[in-house]
Amino acid sequence: MVTLEKIAHLAEDCAFDSLGPGVNINPKKLSTLGEGTRHDVCASTYSPRESPLPGICHAFTQDGRCVSLFKTLYTNHCSHQCNYCINATNCSRKVQTFSYTPDELARITLSLYRSNYIEGLFLSSGAGRDEDLIMERMLETLQKLRKQYDFPGYIHLKILPGSSKNHIQQAMELADRVSINLEAASASQLNEICATKSYENDILQRQRYIRDLGTDENLPAGQTTQLVVGAAGESDQDIFKRILYEYKDIGVKRAYYSAFSPQNGTAFESREGQPLWREHRLYQMDWLYRIYRFSPADIHMAFDENGFLSNSDPKLAIARELLDSPVDPNLAAYRELIRVPGIGPRSAKRIVGLRMRKNIVSKRELEALGVVIKRAAPFLKINGWRDTTLEKWSG
Amino acid sequence: MRVPDDYCRYLVMHAKSSERLLARTEGLTALDLEVSTSPEAMSLRRMVYAVMSEVHRMKAFVRLRPLGDRVLWGYMKPRHRIGEHTSEHFARRNPGTIIVLGNGAESWTAFFRQDRMMRIHGAGLNETLDRLKSALKISEEEKGADAEGARANAQYIDDIWQTYYDSQYCPERKNLQAFRQRMPARDQEAAGLQLMQKKREMTLEDFRQQ
Repeated sequence: MVTLEKIAHLAEDCAFDSLGPGVNINPKKLSTLGEGTRHDVCASTYSPRESPLPGICHAFTQDGRCVSLFKTLYTNHCSHQCNYCINATNCSRKVQTFSYTPDELARITLSLYRSNYIEGLFLSSGAGRDEDLIMERMLETLQKLRKQYDFPGYIHLKILPGSSKNHIQQAMELADRVSINLEAASASQLNEICATKSYENDILQRQRYIRDLGTDENLPAGQTTQLVVGAAGESDQDIFKRILYEYKDIGVKRAYYSAFSPQNGTAFESREGQPLWREHRLYQMDWLYRIYRFSPADIHMAFDENGFLSNSDPKLAIARELLDSPVDPNLAAYRELIRVPGIGPRSAKRIVGLRMRKNIVSKRELEALGVVIKRAAPFLKINGWRDTTLEKWSG
Repeated sequence: MRVPDDYCRYLVMHAKSSERLLARTEGLTALDLEVSTSPEAMSLRRMVYAVMSEVHRMKAFVRLRPLGDRVLWGYMKPRHRIGEHTSEHFARRNPGTIIVLGNGAESWTAFFRQDRMMRIHGAGLNETLDRLKSALKISEEEKGADAEGARANAQYIDDIWQTYYDSQYCPERKNLQAFRQRMPARDQEAAGLQLMQKKREMTLEDFRQQ
């Protein structure tokens, strides 16, 4: 019989280092370096390792975004001149600069992980005076976590632009996921928002290194990238074109979009911020390509003549162009079903599963399978009847 | 959410689970449950989802505090019978560490080492922790100092977290509806979380919405 005493006896030689007050962290440093990454998105912490990490969101902030990782900068000291960034050298509002030490950062991560506040670490950084040195320090942090503290959690490391191939390889062996932010959709647009980075050499070339160095063992969660949307006046179509290249040629797992919002003191302080809905529509477009597997030609139908998405569901715009005749849920193939607004991959699969057992005869049945019937009805034909309403044509 | 193949495991954990309920699942596969539109199957599906969702939220929201250097404990008062399942999850995550979850009425202890899981469903949290303290031979004197140190340590980690958590908020993206949907007050309470509110920055409007 298992008793508490027996368990206590078995645990006797398994003491853990309780960390905590051993390191004294300046709260100002913690919050400044934390704020430095609040626009970086890393939603998923799923990692398909030998024993897969599940990906749990431990908290959400009041903007509705999840906090599953300890997301921080290593240092906010930076020698780049990105016109949108408060840490840039050309920013007139000087923020106090801070930097962690590898041991500090590893211990904070470990204690937060052990207390179940986080799933792992998301480490980015300003370039400091010497990019190589900062990259080395970041790698040292990861080394400590993995080798010294046996940290089993998730690690997402931002590769600094211009990092050496050797550093990238080390990072890929230690992290679950790495990423380099594209920031802009093309070289000329990057030039406009940042004069000190080369699109081809600092960013694309490093992404190719990551692609080429990838093996079955390292980097289980692959590489991702992120763009600042609207800082350089690019259209959604420009972004889509770039993203297609990233998905097909670089093999990024997914792209993140962050609507540009002007920060006080930066060179772009007086530029107009981008509405959040633009970011949302780009994610929908991305989703249609990645998850629904719409072809690029189909997705192009959602852009207007200037290459922008409107503030409505791009899937609806595509359905209006493509779905001339109503879809019968009892007959349509899976690929046709997911074209209908209100039907996603999961509900489409359920429809296919249900109709192998019985015919679908009512809207209520579809609703029970997770179909958003209000949006789907105008495109469906159930029992030979079609809802001929004006809904199909309204936004 | 998807109905898992071993969905009965979750049904057993439901607060209203009974042998009669489980008998109703005979011959029903996970796919049947997922695609069926019969009221019976839909009610079973809802019950499975309710348990899965609480399991997920407890894994996310329960915070663990150290007791000495071999025990991590946390408060949890779930609606469904998920105590054992959740404590096992934390034990797997921290092999070699004794995990105790619980509340005033009951507690779940789990210990995972060398591919072996040990579990105990016992009395209230305080009682279990006291028994562990004496079993781990933490002397009265040490206990005092240890408790003091552990409290300071836990508070310190909590402060680090709170400062970091506050730094992640983008006011320009404020979306309280999404926040409430993803962090239901009910589950925060069950996991013993102090409600995460940025009180200093709240406006009258926020109070009205709450």
